[in-house]
Amino acid sequence: MSETFAVLGLFDNAEALVKAVPGLKALRLGRLEAYTPYPVHGLDDLLGRRRSPLAGMVLVMGILGALTALGFQLWVAAVDYPLVTGGKAPTSWQAFVPIMFEVTVLFASFTAGLGMLHLLNRLPFFGHPVLQSKAIRGITRDRFALALEADEGGAGFDPAAAQAALETAGALEIEWLPAPAREPFLTAVFIQRSLAGIAVACLVSGLIMYGSVQMMPVALPMRHMLDQPRVDPQQPSSFFKDGHSMQLPVAGTVARGFLPPGFTTPEEAGRLVNPLPRTPAVMARGRAAYQTHCVVCHDPLGTGLPSLSAAYGAKPANLHTDAIRGYPDGQIYGTIVLGKNAMPSYAADLSEDDRWAVVHYVRALQRAQNAKAEDFQ
Amino acid sequence: MNPEGAPFPLDLPEVLRTRPLTVGEVTPGRLDDHILAFPARVPPRKWFIALACTASLMTLGLALVGYTFYMGIGVWGNNSPVFWAFGIINFVFWIGIGHAGTLISAILFLFRKRWRNAISRFAEAMTIFAVMVAGMFPLIHVGRPWLAYWLFPYPNQRGIWPNFRSPLLWDVFAVSTYFSVSLLFWYLGLLPDLASLRERTGRGVRKFAYTILSCGWTGATSHWRHYEKAYVLLAGLATGLVLSVHSVVSFDFASSIVPGWHMTIFPPYFVVGAIFAGFAIVLMSLIVARETMDLKHLITDFHLEVMNKVILGMSCLMGYAYVAEGFTAWYSMNPFIQHTFLQYVWGHYGWSGCLTITCNVLLPQLMWFRKCRRSYPWMFLVAIAVTVGMWMERFVIIVVSLHHDYLPSAWHNYRPTLVDLGILAGSFGIFFTLVLLFARLLPMIATSEMKADLPGAQPRHGAIHE
Repeated sequence: MSETFAVLGLFDNAEALVKAVPGLKALRLGRLEAYTPYPVHGLDDLLGRRRSPLAGMVLVMGILGALTALGFQLWVAAVDYPLVTGGKAPTSWQAFVPIMFEVTVLFASFTAGLGMLHLLNRLPFFGHPVLQSKAIRGITRDRFALALEADEGGAGFDPAAAQAALETAGALEIEWLPAPAREPFLTAVFIQRSLAGIAVACLVSGLIMYGSVQMMPVALPMRHMLDQPRVDPQQPSSFFKDGHSMQLPVAGTVARGFLPPGFTTPEEAGRLVNPLPRTPAVMARGRAAYQTHCVVCHDPLGTGLPSLSAAYGAKPANLHTDAIRGYPDGQIYGTIVLGKNAMPSYAADLSEDDRWAVVHYVRALQRAQNAKAEDFQ
Repeated sequence: MNPEGAPFPLDLPEVLRTRPLTVGEVTPGRLDDHILAFPARVPPRKWFIALACTASLMTLGLALVGYTFYMGIGVWGNNSPVFWAFGIINFVFWIGIGHAGTLISAILFLFRKRWRNAISRFAEAMTIFAVMVAGMFPLIHVGRPWLAYWLFPYPNQRGIWPNFRSPLLWDVFAVSTYFSVSLLFWYLGLLPDLASLRERTGRGVRKFAYTILSCGWTGATSHWRHYEKAYVLLAGLATGLVLSVHSVVSFDFASSIVPGWHMTIFPPYFVVGAIFAGFAIVLMSLIVARETMDLKHLITDFHLEVMNKVILGMSCLMGYAYVAEGFTAWYSMNPFIQHTFLQYVWGHYGWSGCLTITCNVLLPQLMWFRKCRRSYPWMFLVAIAVTVGMWMERFVIIVVSLHHDYLPSAWHNYRPTLVDLGILAGSFGIFFTLVLLFARLLPMIATSEMKADLPGAQPRHGAIHE
């Protein structure tokens, strides 16, 4: 026989219950708790329950939500991934307000909901003695219960006295609730069964996954989006008579910035002189162009040893050989325009000024890699 | 307080006493036996017929969504310049439907409107279903739905983040917050009822489900104390949230420069419209529910009348918003905005604007008459008109504004395809299927809230001191 956890007295209406509370409270026979189908006004104050700390918790978490949202958005939009929108400064915060508001509400609401349920009321909990009582059917329907409950240790609780007190207070039915039997939770058998269950679940889901991948082909969703009225690479145009989708310029015209080079071999271009001055701005431009177009094959330092080239078996030129260092500026320019061996022409990708800027930058690389003693002074 | 410490024994005259909101004698026990018995009963034949109809519509809609996934968005009518058509119209429409539920459950709770108790659960459920339906549309409309999770800011190997200054991203946050908070609010409201259901049910799967879902709720006063606090806090938070959600939806439009969209009236205008449309749908569903489920003594004529008054008030506000739009167009002295505004009621789509005004502003004026507020045919007429009108309003805002913007060479008319119309019908099918299932699986009326408000449920003032 387990100890008695509580003695429960049932009342027929809220008023009778409320009237019984002060007398029972004065007797100090144990913790007084009421169980009702709906909140009864004033009962919580009468029982001397402390004020709910929920509002404070919600306020703190709401503020935390606002700060989290603001901090995260600032970090993303101003630090980690600056994205200029509408010409605003990266740290302009006004546009972050809607998301701040939503996150504030999200944090605060879940604090209110789950904080109430879990932190304050300690639910879900299925082992409460009242749940096993005969009275619970009535409590969740239309009856009202007052319980005198044993304190934490259970010492000094006198069920008989509690019953007498409840009867005096007008309780219509009395029920003694045994303390819940505490069985060990994590037994060896439970752990073994859980592990076995997890293993079986993994196996079954793995087999289902394997089977479905084997049986079902990969279906491309929305593939008809790919059917578009356009000419794909290497596809003849049915619109133009010559079959080209991109038409050649009208005979005798030259596009801006695309004057014919005036030479047919890089050597022939050697006589050209670099028209750009060697200023930091030109160097920066050359560096940018070099790092965009040249670096994949020639390497950031111009050694011609990057992994991409190795993968394709090509041997891009090392720009630091004596031969290439001996080229006049114009010949490097000519190589960019016309290409050499496996290197294609970059005339379409680099404007005239860009090419000359690259030449300056290549010269700087060469000098840096082959520095003489006096360069350091 | 009198010298004895008890309040004055105030005997209020009949008119000043708080009237009971139920008809006839309603006791907590009878309420339970009526409302909570529905989940245990086998539904009648007409329920199955209704479910068959809505489920067929739902199947049609989902099949067409599947067809869209297979073929691509090209099977919809959207094309330059009307890139946002049915996908966004339906999204805005359904999100709006949800707002009535939150208004009833949260805002009216804060205003201590006791009549909300009878209809709040039902309206909240409709909120959740409406937001679920609404959420479907942007997901399809993004074009590659299987990558829709890219909308969320999570660290990724692409090394990029979404743009937090974009209203479309605000939308993601607003709608997902709205859905999760509504669900939480609804679930917490259900908790005491689930406990009642748990105790009413014998053994079996349903007992197990109710036991788990009710979390071991006992109704202890120490629990009720936190519960009531949580409920009022959630109501306050949901009030701010519901006002923000449709405002954020309106930012999708108002923060662009499209003529007809770029207006400061948009956020309040959208919120009012949302509540307006939502009330109409809730009202229609309530009428059907109270007739078929014998709820006339709980959802009384008074409830319907109050709801009709809300509809009337919102209708007048909508009228004001339309006038304000016209004023903005005129006062802007911008010929494009003026042209767009005239297109609403004049040009190729003029019928849609005229229909909107008729349905949203003119017809609801019938509700000035008490007879119309209390008669089913008129109520139904107005509710259906409002539903149609509010859908057409979003059509006007989206399609008519987009089809003629600042670049006349890009002007082009829009036509929906059968797939568009089928998915629209399917969205109603999904919504009403969920509503029908809800009406039979969970308590449709918040019984614990009703019980607390029945006559004699609370101890009289000063009872303790007698």
